[in-house]
Amino acid sequence: MILANATNFWARESGSGGLFLMVFLTLAICAALIFGLLQMPSRLRRPVVATFTFVSGLFYVLLWIWPQAQDRKPTDLPANFTESVSFWLSDALPKIANVSNILTAFLLGLGVFSLMRVHLTRLAKKQRDWSFSIVLLVSMISITIFGYWDWAQRQGMTPLQLEEATKIENWTTARLGQSLLFDGLLQAMDAAMFSLIAFYILSAAYRAFRIRSIEATILLASAFLVMFSLLGLADLFWSNMINAAGGSDPASFINNFRLSEIAGFIQKTFQVPGIRAIQFGIGIGALAMGLRLWLSLEKGGVS
Amino acid sequence: MAQVQNEKTLGEKLLSIPRGVLFFILVLATAIPLRCKVTIPNNPAENSANLYRILMSIPEGSTVLVQSDWTNSTRGESRGQFDALLRILMRRNIKFAVLSVGDPQAPQVAKDVVDAINRERAEKGERQYRRWEDWLSLGLFPNAEGTGNGIALNMSNTFATKEESDASGMKRKVMLSPVFQGVESVADIAAYIIVTGTKSSQIAIERLNNKVTMLALVTGVMGPETLTYYASGQLKGMSAGLKGVYDLETMMESGLNVTGSPNQVPAVPGEYPGFPGQTNLAKGTQYILTLHSAIFLLIAAVVIGNIGVILSRKKGQS
Amino acid sequence: MNPVTYDAIKLTLGVLATVGLYTVLYRENKFYRFWEHVFLGLAAGWASVTLWTETLKENWWDAMLGKSVEQGVSTGEPGYWIYAVMLPLGVLGYFVYSKKHSWIAKIPIGIILGLWSGQQIQIWWQTYGPQMKASMLPVVPTTWESLTRPAMNGLTPEQMASVTANIYPSQAIGNILAIITVICVLTYFLFSFELKNKVVSSMSLTGRYLLMIGFGAIFGSTVMMRFSLLIDRMYFITIEWFDALKLLIG
Repeated sequence: MILANATNFWARESGSGGLFLMVFLTLAICAALIFGLLQMPSRLRRPVVATFTFVSGLFYVLLWIWPQAQDRKPTDLPANFTESVSFWLSDALPKIANVSNILTAFLLGLGVFSLMRVHLTRLAKKQRDWSFSIVLLVSMISITIFGYWDWAQRQGMTPLQLEEATKIENWTTARLGQSLLFDGLLQAMDAAMFSLIAFYILSAAYRAFRIRSIEATILLASAFLVMFSLLGLADLFWSNMINAAGGSDPASFINNFRLSEIAGFIQKTFQVPGIRAIQFGIGIGALAMGLRLWLSLEKGGVS
Repeated sequence: MAQVQNEKTLGEKLLSIPRGVLFFILVLATAIPLRCKVTIPNNPAENSANLYRILMSIPEGSTVLVQSDWTNSTRGESRGQFDALLRILMRRNIKFAVLSVGDPQAPQVAKDVVDAINRERAEKGERQYRRWEDWLSLGLFPNAEGTGNGIALNMSNTFATKEESDASGMKRKVMLSPVFQGVESVADIAAYIIVTGTKSSQIAIERLNNKVTMLALVTGVMGPETLTYYASGQLKGMSAGLKGVYDLETMMESGLNVTGSPNQVPAVPGEYPGFPGQTNLAKGTQYILTLHSAIFLLIAAVVIGNIGVILSRKKGQS
Repeated sequence: MNPVTYDAIKLTLGVLATVGLYTVLYRENKFYRFWEHVFLGLAAGWASVTLWTETLKENWWDAMLGKSVEQGVSTGEPGYWIYAVMLPLGVLGYFVYSKKHSWIAKIPIGIILGLWSGQQIQIWWQTYGPQMKASMLPVVPTTWESLTRPAMNGLTPEQMASVTANIYPSQAIGNILAIITVICVLTYFLFSFELKNKVVSSMSLTGRYLLMIGFGAIFGSTVMMRFSLLIDRMYFITIEWFDALKLLIG
């Protein structure tokens, strides 16, 4: 075995006893801290959560307000305290991004765990529709097995081998099972689930899209114009009418009434500025919410 | 007498089409035209034309980052967009790295489509795009916000944990691959291209728009919102929905602003050739006629509903 | 397995699942419930696979334990033991199921929210600065040669550049309307309480009408998307599946 790269306090040789010891110590300290959290009096809970939230947010705030080094090269050393902090913040950013990805992945796993917990409980207690819980758990377990199996088989393949592995005649049992479950079922159902909305849109438009007020009339007219502009045949039909009315001459004023021109005018003059104004509102709200969360002022929230 | 009272007026009849009948007509309207082969005229939107212009202007051999956040839930639009994008990139020998921030299914969907386009190329005797050499799969980054910031300020370290097998089968850091040769920061990337059906494009735009040329291929629902970023110059080009797919495909077929091409967008400077004789007209072309019939059905349903209300009101007044 | 048979089986399963989910359009039924649970199970199972294979394996596990240069499979990396902290930190989230200690789950969520909120200040200007700039449109025409912008067909690039550089009266009017739209819609949103000032209330009302134009356009785009998804499913059933069956039958 060839030794891995050079080490420092934070890094240890891969597979070395030192690394495993440090990992074990870290886990042991964390376990002790969790034990401490379990014993924590109620009055300290809020400050603890608020501290974690504040310190996490502080990183990006510092990153924003602290002067950043310009044209920094990998070999550059900080000349003063300001530069030291600046370099540290800049170097820490990818690690913070990595930490946020890892933590989000763990928290996403919570959703999977929650679903399993609900259905295992239903199955154990033979609650209503427990048979469907078996269906769910079997589906979950089978795709997990085939997913990992296929992934494990691909590890260590060269790009050329990977290329060969994509040919269906070379597919292994793992790949066949994975594709059957992922492409054959999951992806088909994903598409089907979302396409259901088309039926409800048609039904709702027929029953509820009424010209009952000025607002509804404006909305309907705008929607029809935009929908027509998406249709090449409608555009062609309209263009022929415009051409017949003198639009064949490029300089003719009537050319401004082509479907694409009208739709473009609505888009640039009303749609984009309107949505932009909504986004300004959302932006102000997000900024205020960000500050409230960071400073733990949100009463019903984290703290 | 009772029979006369129960008889429905025309207005009432128009208002009482059963839901099942509407659904059945919709199924017919979206299934039958798929078999028809009719060429629909097209007028590419300016934003689609700018997307095509930039994709065709990227120097061969450059590297782009593709943020693929779509799954089959939006296959009707996103698949056509992703196919068209990959065909252009591969035909122009542009290297790419795919990352996902939106959905756990997205990385596998992207890999499957790259494989499918590679098979299409292999059938035509064209060079296949090879992992490590020509493209990379960077995987899933579930925290879009942190990842976006990382890419903006320190891209090479943000991808530092990611590895792929090189030609010898040895696992190596992706930043050492030929795809990222000469790339140190996101500013060295020719374009950051987002294919998505969600708001993930906005998270990326918010963090990266002043660092790199950004392009987006979004679904119809996300189109209007994303258009504000195009209008402000934060996005340099975008394709929205099925119309956007059809725009791309027609430009790939007969070029943009080229003499003799029907795709003339005066607001977009320059002439950009297409790829005649190759697979250009795909999902967008297959679906666009059917979109006509579906939208006409919706318009008819709204008109019938409103006429029904008007007639019923008149009857009530008389 | 023969690829043609495999494809036919795979697509048939997909069609069965699609039809199964579509039966909810009639009413909720057991066939639909079956496929709904298959869908949920597969989605959750796949998430657990991807979270490890595409994220945690490289971002966390390999970073923590490093890699040694063994049998030429890796270039070797030291292990950063501090990443071990992430496991207990992630586990804290699972305390949400504890009645007594559920507050502990707020720590990892607080970290994620803290990181998000810290970024809001930073990205605000980057997002809305260009949007604000793009809203400041020129409202005074630079030429009166023509009411509208002339057609550019057949013009030289220089002439085109001259045309696009000018602001024609119709464009100026359009720009004024666009600015009015931004201000009125913003007024409508920001002053959503009862308004006593007549100017502000009429601006707010105008904002509502102008907003409807935008919403109409959004509706049009949304319809396009929703129908595209259905068209794709119909393509899947009537073309992809039929073709696979035809191939199978020969």
